Amino acid sequence: MTVRRLDDARTARVLLAPALLALAVLAAWPGLWVLWLSLQRRIPVFGIERFVGPAHYAFLAEDPRFWNAVQVTLIFTFVSVSLEFLLGLGVALGLQGQRRGRRLAVALLLLPWALPSVVTGRMFEWLYHPSAGLLNYVLGGEAINWLGEPTLALPALIAADVWRTMPFVALLCYARVLTIPPEIYEAARVDGAGAVATVRDVTLPLLRRVLLIALLFRTLDALRAFDLMFVLTGGGPANTTETLTVYAYRSLFQTLQLGFGAAIGVAVFALVMVVAWGYLKAIVHEEGATA
Amino acid sequence: MLARSHAYDAPVLTGGWRGRALVLVLCVLVAGCAQRPDAAAAVTLVFKHAKILGPSDPVPALLREFERRHPGVRVQAESLSWNSDDQHQFFVINLEGRGAAFDVMMLDVVWVAEFARAGWLLDLSPWVTRAELEPHFPSTIAPATWNGRVWAMPWLMNVGILYYRADLLGKYGLTPPRTWEALVDQVVRVRAAERNPRLDGVLWQGRQYEGLTVNALEAIWANGGRMFGADGTVFPEEERAAGGLAFLRALIVSGVSPSWVTAADEELSRRHFGDGRAIFLRNWPYAMDLFQAAGSPVRGRVGMAPLPGRVGGAVSAASSGGAHLGVNRRTRHPELAVALVRFLAEAEAQKTMTVGGALNPTRMALYHDRDVVRVHPDFPLVHDLMLRARPRPVTPAYLMLSTTLQPEFSAALVGVKSPRQAIEHARLRLSYLLEGLR
Repeated sequence: MTVRRLDDARTARVLLAPALLALAVLAAWPGLWVLWLSLQRRIPVFGIERFVGPAHYAFLAEDPRFWNAVQVTLIFTFVSVSLEFLLGLGVALGLQGQRRGRRLAVALLLLPWALPSVVTGRMFEWLYHPSAGLLNYVLGGEAINWLGEPTLALPALIAADVWRTMPFVALLCYARVLTIPPEIYEAARVDGAGAVATVRDVTLPLLRRVLLIALLFRTLDALRAFDLMFVLTGGGPANTTETLTVYAYRSLFQTLQLGFGAAIGVAVFALVMVVAWGYLKAIVHEEGATA
Repeated sequence: MLARSHAYDAPVLTGGWRGRALVLVLCVLVAGCAQRPDAAAAVTLVFKHAKILGPSDPVPALLREFERRHPGVRVQAESLSWNSDDQHQFFVINLEGRGAAFDVMMLDVVWVAEFARAGWLLDLSPWVTRAELEPHFPSTIAPATWNGRVWAMPWLMNVGILYYRADLLGKYGLTPPRTWEALVDQVVRVRAAERNPRLDGVLWQGRQYEGLTVNALEAIWANGGRMFGADGTVFPEEERAAGGLAFLRALIVSGVSPSWVTAADEELSRRHFGDGRAIFLRNWPYAMDLFQAAGSPVRGRVGMAPLPGRVGGAVSAASSGGAHLGVNRRTRHPELAVALVRFLAEAEAQKTMTVGGALNPTRMALYHDRDVVRVHPDFPLVHDLMLRARPRPVTPAYLMLSTTLQPEFSAALVGVKSPRQAIEHARLRLSYLLEGLR
């Protein structure tokens, strides 16, 4: 019995080795290199390359621009993921109840998700156009300054992000909904459950696992949000839409402060890891509960 | 059209190739002789340039002409995206990685000092004398030279211009304003008389990007301020700088400029003016061709004037921009690459670029050339505007400065910070950054 188990363990290790090796080469090595870079002051244009230890992190701790970017990133992530979650779930349940034209609805739903993000960005640039934009036209022709007003720019970006990624959540949920056997619903009906009770006590619990996974993906994506800000506002006005990744990009590729930019990158990595760890714990817990 | 370019299509390097190239380069350098391209082992030069926007691309024909004059040499043109940030990123990654995949590059004027300081550009001083630069506009020569050496050749030029609705001004007997104060008065007058609530006053670029740095600098210059003092201090006349920003903010608050200029770039503002919905516009020379195009609502109704000054400030202050040509320091064919750069910057080639496309040359004489003026009747006027232009600060740290300033300028425009606060914060950050570079 024990010999057998040892053999299994050895086989498992051999089988896992290629995957672990690939992870080490593709993830761990660049990660460690960025960490090492973040401990240096490296500005190639000025020929500066020296070890500074945690100096960049000390600066970041007191850098108002960094904390502003953290705040923008967290607000963006929380609001857009929450909205995507609620709307996505609503759409999935709506599709379930829909009798006709489901195929068409799914195809339409896929469209925003399938568009390249730069195309989405350009499209919203036109929608939000202060004088010629569709949005202001529909709202009665007032020249609302969507992308140039500090209080409106971030909500406008969140709306664009929700439009683009809500279908992802909706489709994942819908796929799970389709696999729920109709007998369960019949049983619920026999037990006298109404529509609300059915959703609350039957559909939602069955959707929990897939929802957690969809949320995990979406949250990690949102924490690294870059493209919409980059295309639509450049982080402005007054840095009200500058996320951590935009700040990192500006430091790395525009001002070429490689060490400093790497430090921001490491901060993003740490943030993403903490959140991912929380989700993974929840998912494992969920699996334990349902297994 | 240009053959489809492959952005990362570097010639394959093998040890033998590299060795042979090195021998060739050494031979050329040591002998000091003119290029002697080996016809059997044809030399390929790679020219990386931004996508040439406009009705036609005159570059391929020019390169064929260069090939005809240099038998055995092939020039491969590879275009990058039109986005300046993307180009910068491409060059930085490849040059920092010591790539020799391209020999000649088209550079935004504000990068030349940076790339020279980084050691990525070939010093052109042995070939290009100061005298050879003289026929170019002064504000293009300053960014081509840094630390007393020549690093690039001026190629294409831009200048900030005040576009105005000649029909509207003429209707009320007004002439283009010489000061911003007069411009505001004219906007108020014309709008009151026109009774058109949808007619905006003056449009400019206030989105948080390089264009904002340019517009804010012009406002600061007009108010008699500077970004750098002779001793390297940042915003030496702090009050003047804050006054420049305060004026921009006042344009928005008073409604002379619509509030959305804080999200506007060149194209957004150009289109709005081009639809006939504003009296004034600050933009680059390219816009004129579009205003005069067939079907344009403002065709024949637009005039160009120098950017206004301020009462008690400067007479006029416009920023220059444009593109220079530089040589990759790791090129395997320095002689030929320099020859290509000089060929493209020659009067003849610049003329071809100008007549064939919607581009502005850097050579002053071309603006009065008969063939050029026939195609671009405004060029004598543009010449005078370009002569007044001022370059943005020539420093290797330019992008660092600009990207540090943008959020502060933006904050002042949207009213998150007072202009004085914004200048104060910008000054603190810049002093800190520059301190670290000394």
